[in-house]
Amino acid sequence: MSASPSFRDGLLAAVPTLRAFAVSLAKNADRADDLVQETLVKAWDKQDSFQPGTNLKAWLFTILRNEFYSQMRKRRREVEDSDGSITARLSIHPAQEGNSDLNDFRRALALLPEDQREAIILIGASGFSYEEAAEICGCAVGTIKCRVSRARSRLQEILSISGEGDFGPDAITAQVTNSAAVA
Amino acid sequence: MTRMFKDVGQDADDEKGMTYQKLDKGRNGSKRNPAADPLGPNSEIGRKLRQYYDELISEEVPDRFSQLLNQLQQQEQQGSTAKKD
Repeated sequence: MSASPSFRDGLLAAVPTLRAFAVSLAKNADRADDLVQETLVKAWDKQDSFQPGTNLKAWLFTILRNEFYSQMRKRRREVEDSDGSITARLSIHPAQEGNSDLNDFRRALALLPEDQREAIILIGASGFSYEEAAEICGCAVGTIKCRVSRARSRLQEILSISGEGDFGPDAITAQVTNSAAVA
Repeated sequence: MTRMFKDVGQDADDEKGMTYQKLDKGRNGSKRNPAADPLGPNSEIGRKLRQYYDELISEEVPDRFSQLLNQLQQQEQQGSTAKKD
């Protein structure tokens, strides 16, 4: 039984949003594209387990997320220093150069723990409901709500601090310096 | 829980009940009010989040993905028994 053309088209249509989610998780554009590629291959192999008419995007996000965490377990140590390279990779986009506001946001987002980052992306950007996000992450709806709320307060915290110190090297340094000065 | 509130409500020792009520109301209030969607259009974080994401989505998609899907489809058409790894 060969795949219906619509399944292939469905996958292709989902690539932009899969890439956006993958970049948000992996914080690195090259790794993100590898994740998307792996997701497409896995989805293709498992296409019989997908029920047409159900949410293809949520199904693909689940595969991508599982792939990300299994890769991360394999190379936990390398992940740590990827922070610097994201900004470099993403700033290739000329439209982004003048947008320091968005760069601040990107950096702040990168400082969040994975579980909070994925939750706030799924809910606030990818357009999933709390129920769908819970399904994708394999956890309770309440857990997603809690992570989103933590992510949001953390982002607010980081951004207001980095906004005060426009000359600061980056949000985390500013934050450490600030709290040290207060203490 | 109660102990925590006692410690926090240091300046309202004779109003422990009040303190508890206030906290409770605040918590329920924010959850029940749909207009106060924490990531909605009125939220700065929410707006930035979508701006960040929309920009990623609008990036040009490399050809490798449509090529990959074409390959997968061809492989399948050539014979479902020859499963490539």
